[in-house]
Amino acid sequence: MSERRGEGDRATVIEAEGLKTHFQARSGIISALVGQKPKVARALDGVDVTIREREVVGLVGESGCGKSTLGMSLVRMYQPTGGRVRYRGEDITRAEGRALKDYRRQAQIIFQDPYSSLNPRLTIGQIIEEPLIIHRIGNAAERRERVARAMNLVRIPPAENVDRYPSDLSGGQRQRIAIARALVLEPKFIVADEPVSMLDVSIQASVLELIDELSRELGLAVLYISHDIATVGYICDHVAVMYLGRIVEEGPAEEILAEPLHPYTERLIAAIPRMDPAEAPERHELTGDVPSPLNVPPGCRFSSRCPFVAPLCEAVEPELSDQPGGRRVRCHIHDDGAARLRPDLARPVAGRVTHDEDVGILADAAS
Amino acid sequence: MTVAPDPAPVPGPVSSSGATPITIRGRSPWAAAWDSLRLMMRDSFALIGVVVLSVFVVLAVLAPWLAPYDPFQAMMTEAGRLNRLSPPTAANPFGTTGFGQDVLSQFLYGFRVALMVGLVAAVAVGFISTLFGVLSGYFGGLVDDVLMRITDVALSIPTLPFAIVAVALLGPSIENIILVITILFWRNGARIIRSAVLTEKERVYVKWARAAGASHFHIIMRHILPNVFRVVFLWITMSVAFAILTEASLSFLGLGDPKAISWGQMLNTAFSSGNLRTAWWWVVPPSVALVLLVSSLYLIGRAYEEQTNPRLRRR
Amino acid sequence: MSLAELNARLAAKPAAELRVDGLSVTYNTARGPFHAVEDVGFTVPAGTNLGLVGESGCGKSTVVKALMGLLPEGTGLTGRALLDGDDILGLTDDALRDVRWNRIALITQSAMNSLDPVYSIGDQIVEAIRAHEPVGRATAWARAEEMFALVGLPAARLTEFPHMFSGGMRQRAVIAMALALNAGMLLADEPTTALDPIMQSQIMARIRGIHAHMRRSMVLVTHDIAVVAETCETTVVMYAGKVVESGPTGQVLGRPLHPYTMGLQNAFPRLPVRGAPRQPLISIPGVVPNLASPPPGCRFAGRCPFAADLCRTTPPPVAAAGPQQAACHFTDRAEEFRAAAALPETWRKMRAAA
Repeated sequence: MSERRGEGDRATVIEAEGLKTHFQARSGIISALVGQKPKVARALDGVDVTIREREVVGLVGESGCGKSTLGMSLVRMYQPTGGRVRYRGEDITRAEGRALKDYRRQAQIIFQDPYSSLNPRLTIGQIIEEPLIIHRIGNAAERRERVARAMNLVRIPPAENVDRYPSDLSGGQRQRIAIARALVLEPKFIVADEPVSMLDVSIQASVLELIDELSRELGLAVLYISHDIATVGYICDHVAVMYLGRIVEEGPAEEILAEPLHPYTERLIAAIPRMDPAEAPERHELTGDVPSPLNVPPGCRFSSRCPFVAPLCEAVEPELSDQPGGRRVRCHIHDDGAARLRPDLARPVAGRVTHDEDVGILADAAS
Repeated sequence: MTVAPDPAPVPGPVSSSGATPITIRGRSPWAAAWDSLRLMMRDSFALIGVVVLSVFVVLAVLAPWLAPYDPFQAMMTEAGRLNRLSPPTAANPFGTTGFGQDVLSQFLYGFRVALMVGLVAAVAVGFISTLFGVLSGYFGGLVDDVLMRITDVALSIPTLPFAIVAVALLGPSIENIILVITILFWRNGARIIRSAVLTEKERVYVKWARAAGASHFHIIMRHILPNVFRVVFLWITMSVAFAILTEASLSFLGLGDPKAISWGQMLNTAFSSGNLRTAWWWVVPPSVALVLLVSSLYLIGRAYEEQTNPRLRRR
Repeated sequence: MSLAELNARLAAKPAAELRVDGLSVTYNTARGPFHAVEDVGFTVPAGTNLGLVGESGCGKSTVVKALMGLLPEGTGLTGRALLDGDDILGLTDDALRDVRWNRIALITQSAMNSLDPVYSIGDQIVEAIRAHEPVGRATAWARAEEMFALVGLPAARLTEFPHMFSGGMRQRAVIAMALALNAGMLLADEPTTALDPIMQSQIMARIRGIHAHMRRSMVLVTHDIAVVAETCETTVVMYAGKVVESGPTGQVLGRPLHPYTMGLQNAFPRLPVRGAPRQPLISIPGVVPNLASPPPGCRFAGRCPFAADLCRTTPPPVAAAGPQQAACHFTDRAEEFRAAAALPETWRKMRAAA
């Protein structure tokens, strides 16, 4: 991964290298007898990520792009099928038993839905205490103290709230409880999978702020997963954009948000509605939906929807190429490596639209 | 849903504060059961069901003391003849049977058989259904395939013919009747509980618990079972009713335990002795009791389902 | 009737005007009355878009249900909603059938709920058309094909069933269906909430394009003020069942008068501008009051950093500044409030004091 500014001597906490998680579609008896290979969904297909202490890395992309699969593979909720995950230098890709349980103490995950991530039959105290029970940490008194500390960290006063049930709390408060439950084990790495996307705008900021503060003050490495690229700008140092199981662009958050290079990132940022309509950018309509990971297009994975697609894109998948400002992008427009090898194929050019949906049909239909 | 006011936040930067004295406690299963019972009692039909059921339990327990005679004892008239088919009198408030036995005493002993069959069979059915349903639903894969194929086979057994043949072969006794009922009714329960477990298994907090390193035992005991208990309880309630009806049917067909007196058997004797139409005092009490008992169980089950379903309750 | 005749007939329908006046909705719950919407009023001039903005629990969906006659039996409903002069509140089922689709069409949040899984999408559109227009199946089908083209779906897919469509395509199909009878008024209830950002922007672009072309009137209900900024001429901001601010979009979102609108505006994540200092993201402390027993004064008082004693005791009057209106006691100090509301300290201090 490219050098980052201001990282100093911060230790690497989690590091993925060429990480792959493929899922096998369940095949029927008949196709198995005929000898048909079951279909493979390449949900995560060769991804590198490094997260250091006190660092929040943003991971953006549309649903089905593999961002949640990456998060869940990093905390070993999914078993990666290829590549490597290292936690502070130790390979935990295939850790089992004791080693896996130890890792689970260090790596925690926060989910999107604050309404279904807490068991409605347990009190707040029981919910936050549960990880300690699972890992057999401390006696009852020590556990109580740790629970109180975790609740203070997320600014939910323990004394008044420990006996309440999730149904007594608002969405924002529940998400704080989920964060407290993740913190009680004092982990070093947290995956926050869309932690604010189900919350009202007016309280999103407080949860984002909390994650930001926790990362800085507790030295946590955080992977912040979101489909909303605008929120990523507020808490992330580094951003990776995923499309169909691969990272297509990554680098310092400010660089990428201010001046995206990859056409997909560009479209993702253009999609954000603007408060001042005069600032609204030109928005190319993309064809179709994100392709299924069961059926990955040849060449560049974005070629089936890219407005600038050229023959080279459909034949050769671009590499992640280094770009100025410490970022990397996977696009033939910004990297001529493949074009030199295949001079026979036309290369895409920035801004030259070759593939745009016909929006003009409006005029014919409704008159 | 009411939303609580935002708790006053701790101002200043995030920092670990001093120990705040708190205690962590949850509701015990008993408290939870009591709560749902209380909720259920708000439903007037359920209240009727519970009252009827409680009266029946008391009668069953006190039957030996309440019954004026031994249920098998034949009554004699003053003339020394068998007191057959006597309509209700002061000495025999519910009259006598075709064999001169006291209907009231038989009827009272019938409570014991009905409730014992219902309870024991239901507990056995509940246990096996829960075990199969939870293991199958939670672990899925091969475990699910094997357990569910066993269930499929069990489901293909025709109910009444199997019950008749099995009791006839094993011999008519209460124990065998309970055994047959258990074999017949666990299978549907296993399916129902399995599907409830499949839903619970997908809850985000269950996924979280797995990611946190919880053992399967922990997850089943803490997250799955308490949340499927509603379904289990409902199934047990229904099973009590099924068991009582099945016992009554078997006894009516003459496959009852000859050493015990059940309502089904009373009806059977009334029928086979040809007095079904005339000796109303012999036929009505067991029939009415059966209907009351089974419908009170259904009322309780329905109300429990409605009242403890969080979605129905919270609104 | 041929397709050309049908199209001409439908195209002749004028855009509708909607005037909502004193609309109050009270749900009767097991715990007593719940005042979901109280005294809401706004006007959608013919051929314009109005954005109804607010967060969960503010009553915006209840307003939609009231307008479409979808409230549950026994709900308390007062006020008027004049669609081209006819009150559409509390209509009988028969009268409603004539109004729905024909004069006011709904684009819902979850397309799956508005499409019937057992009929092909084409059949559903045809059925909707033929329920209101005396045309043959072939003509109605041709019209459905045109509507599909309008929303950017291939006509061949009309024969498919809802489950064969992706989320974005289903949402387009629902829009096609809502447009089929060229109703004068469109009600779009969070039309893009369940979709991915790119699909959201594409659907909104379609809706804007169709609006510009067909000149229908529209009420766009959403929690996303930026979508309103890009789409609507008029904005109405709701909070806890009441309208707190309304007026021309540029003014309401550019120079808000009500502290809630200010907070909402500053809570909205924006893209960074290179070199420029980052505007901090602000959250509004506290939660929406329980509408089973609403507070006596201003409903926002408990979360407002500028609230005075007056705000907690007396409901604010509606103050007008030109076409812009706000329900706040202190609209005269809006300028000062706007400067303060842009600072996170203002809201944080209030959180600490709470």
